[in-house]
Amino acid sequence: MVWWLNKAVGSLINLLFLPFSSLPPWVAMLVISLLTALLMLFIYKKISNQQGIRRVKNRLKASLLEIRLFQNDMRTQLQSQKELLSANLQYLLYNLKPLLVMIWPIFLILAQLNLWFASQPPRPGETFLVKASFIKTVDLERLNLDLEAPDGLLVETPPVRILDEGQVAWRLKVTGPVREPLVIQVNGERYQKQIPAGKSRLSRVSAVRVKRNLWQELPYPGEKPLPADSLLKRIELNLQPQRLSLAGIGLHWLLAYFLLSVILGLALKGLFRVEI
Amino acid sequence: MAGRKNDEILKRREFLQMVLGTSAGLMLTPGRAFLRTAGRKETGLKVLVLGMDGLDTVLLNRFLEDGQLPHFRKLAAAGTYRPLRSSLPPQSPVAWANFITGTNPGGHAIFDFVHRDPKTYLPVFSASESLPAKHNLRLGSLNIPLSGGEIRNLRRGRAFWQILEDYDIPATVFKIPSNYPPVETRQRTFSGMGTPDLKGYYGLFNYYTNEYKTVTEEYGGGGRVHDVYVIGHRVEARIPGPNNPFKRGHPETFVDFKVFIDPVNPVAKISYQDQEFILREKEWSGWKKIRFEFIPFQSVSGVCMFYLKEVRPKFKLYVSPVNIDPSDPALPLSTPESYSRELAKKFGPFFTKGLPADTAALENDVLDEKEFLAQDEIVYQESMAMLEEELKNFRSGLLFFYFSNADQRQHMFFRLIDRDHPAYDEKLAAEFGRVILQTYRDMDRALQLAMEKVDRNTVIVVMSDHGFCPFRRGFNLNTWLLRNGYHVLRPGTRPEEVSLFQATDWSRTRAYGVGLNALYLNLKGREAQGLVRPEEKEALLRELAYKLEQVTDPLTGERVILKAYLPSEVYSGAYLAEAPDIILGFNRNYRISWNSPLGSFPRELIESNPQKWSGDHMTSPDLIPGVLLAGRPARLESPALEDVTAGILSLFGIKIPPEVTGRPVF
Repeated sequence: MVWWLNKAVGSLINLLFLPFSSLPPWVAMLVISLLTALLMLFIYKKISNQQGIRRVKNRLKASLLEIRLFQNDMRTQLQSQKELLSANLQYLLYNLKPLLVMIWPIFLILAQLNLWFASQPPRPGETFLVKASFIKTVDLERLNLDLEAPDGLLVETPPVRILDEGQVAWRLKVTGPVREPLVIQVNGERYQKQIPAGKSRLSRVSAVRVKRNLWQELPYPGEKPLPADSLLKRIELNLQPQRLSLAGIGLHWLLAYFLLSVILGLALKGLFRVEI
Repeated sequence: MAGRKNDEILKRREFLQMVLGTSAGLMLTPGRAFLRTAGRKETGLKVLVLGMDGLDTVLLNRFLEDGQLPHFRKLAAAGTYRPLRSSLPPQSPVAWANFITGTNPGGHAIFDFVHRDPKTYLPVFSASESLPAKHNLRLGSLNIPLSGGEIRNLRRGRAFWQILEDYDIPATVFKIPSNYPPVETRQRTFSGMGTPDLKGYYGLFNYYTNEYKTVTEEYGGGGRVHDVYVIGHRVEARIPGPNNPFKRGHPETFVDFKVFIDPVNPVAKISYQDQEFILREKEWSGWKKIRFEFIPFQSVSGVCMFYLKEVRPKFKLYVSPVNIDPSDPALPLSTPESYSRELAKKFGPFFTKGLPADTAALENDVLDEKEFLAQDEIVYQESMAMLEEELKNFRSGLLFFYFSNADQRQHMFFRLIDRDHPAYDEKLAAEFGRVILQTYRDMDRALQLAMEKVDRNTVIVVMSDHGFCPFRRGFNLNTWLLRNGYHVLRPGTRPEEVSLFQATDWSRTRAYGVGLNALYLNLKGREAQGLVRPEEKEALLRELAYKLEQVTDPLTGERVILKAYLPSEVYSGAYLAEAPDIILGFNRNYRISWNSPLGSFPRELIESNPQKWSGDHMTSPDLIPGVLLAGRPARLESPALEDVTAGILSLFGIKIPPEVTGRPVF
């Protein structure tokens, strides 16, 4: 269920970003932020009590005016403060409902954007770690374990087995174009892991493949989950983080996304007559 | 911090530089961020100087004759090949300062690696000094520096690139020694020898092992051994960082790290902060970033390399000195400040510590010969990549580019080409006896790269600051002074147990030795407890010089000191008064012993040097000249370092300033 939901959202985002693959990542970020702002404005307008919000904002303004006008009247001041608090609470309650609705599409979008903006695909000559995490009951020393690297990848080290953490790690080097997935063999079972590659400036990088589980799958939508009965819990690539460059400063994509979405949302709310 | 207004807000970097200067013996130079690069003039002629530290005429001649160095031969045939007279003493900081300023130590005030403080008689570094913050606010265990500390370059005199700047001639000066912190200029410069690591040392490595091991944490550098335990195939340890200037008492900072060892395979995963990497046994990690936190939102960044020497049966992990991160330098590395970041952006992290090869690790058997060379090869490859980049951008003016490899490898491998050296080892010689030749060939390749990349309007100059000779025997100057009655210890003292003159009776002492070639009188009015009256000085100096020149080695019958120089006879300039009272010019195969320079009195007057540090350059400068090769004929038969400076200025048509005492070689 979660997988299919993620797949649907993912397909939409993939389609959306297709024209921007050769452009700087900022372009795609701007577009998705704009669409997010529009979506959120739409949801907010439909879900929230617009008249109630308008009223409560008027109450807030009135209270602030009272506080300013009747500075020498202690009783009015106290009453205005009480009214201000009450109106604030009411305002928060009006926002709660749309927030509870908006959080789900936002979460799905964030998980997808994480694939596009969080990590850099490894380039030829670069190395990275592959980490396989196993369920607690597995004895790593007795496990029949093998790593099959496709063309374009070289396994540089034997596995490092960290017994008390149930983790096995290898170091791999990119030697050329990688078209096939990496395969981890565990007691004869084969588990695949996509290896992000490509030279485009904007590319989808799935760094983690997790086991079938609602709370694991939601944040890591890049690949089909590992079977629920698998000994493997998670396969992870330790890739270089990606930053959006702004005047020479590397900006985390999440910060850029939130800032842009909020700014665009506030800028467009008047156009769509949304009371926030 | 002169000129800074009180109400000016400190920028974070300046603040960090300030407080680091306080804690780690380092400093800051203000305002560099606003400097623009100098020199817009398009010069018809360009000058490329390759500074190859320690290239020796005797060896170069031999390798040229053997046909090993085709590009050196080509350059020599096209213009000039001469021995280049070195400085007195022929130590790198002194020699390069001669070249930088075009004058002798009397004009630039660098007389030795180590000077002494006449108030305390203790050794101090000659190249730079740090001054702590004068005002601090203490809140509980917190210490907030309120005013600026300072890092000072102690070299005096103007650098030749500052003179070029006056004429709007652009210059890039890469890693020239004796320029830390880089002097204020609008030219592109990057500091070289003398640049400390992030802890403020000249290089302090860390070694983690469960084997019994001791190493020397010496004056200004060396290494530290950390005893670790392998428990459940896991090692937990910490990397020491700079002292924390924000905490009372300035405690050392640390970064914890873990090593996960595979139960069977010779491989381990290392993790700390956001770093995670796997190393096989006998493998280098490449550069890894590391961040030391002082207080929330205040930290400094460094870069270091890991080398997994052994996993089993003993665990052995070497971590290089933590270099200042060039992409986020906490201390001044370059002018303009952005130059360092530009390089880091292009090349990633690179060696910023003055002398990058870890000779102390080889000396202490933490790295073996092969491992040391692997590390130095990284240094060389980094240099070559950066030289190529600089040559690509070299359009006008002057480019100076420095190589440390020949100096460092000759220091450590001379024992394997000198059969009479106490540390000569036939087996090692068979394996590593060609390292020095190989290094000269590496330098030839650097010259080849330069020849291929420059245009016809470029004059190529290859120079070294001094030559090399074996260091077989060490002379204990302070022991000699003690035995001859010039230095007196308090009664009941066992001389061989003394260090830093702790037991000296200064009221009866007339002379003492500090530094590598220097002897000082305990002069009244200058030293804190001076004894020698100024009117006695000259006679005493002549007496000492005469007697020192008579010292012979009973083992070989050779004179130990070829010439004891008096500064008034060999130096000139504004800083003559700061010079040592006698400068020792040792004979070939001799130098000062290991312990004498720091105020010790070993039992033997002359002792064998069994160490790997087996080649050196503290003799009389006539014995070990450097080399000068250039694509232009030389006017002088026997040029000196400062003549090259004058020659470069004259190539650009600049009138030689009076403070430059050299004569134009071209």
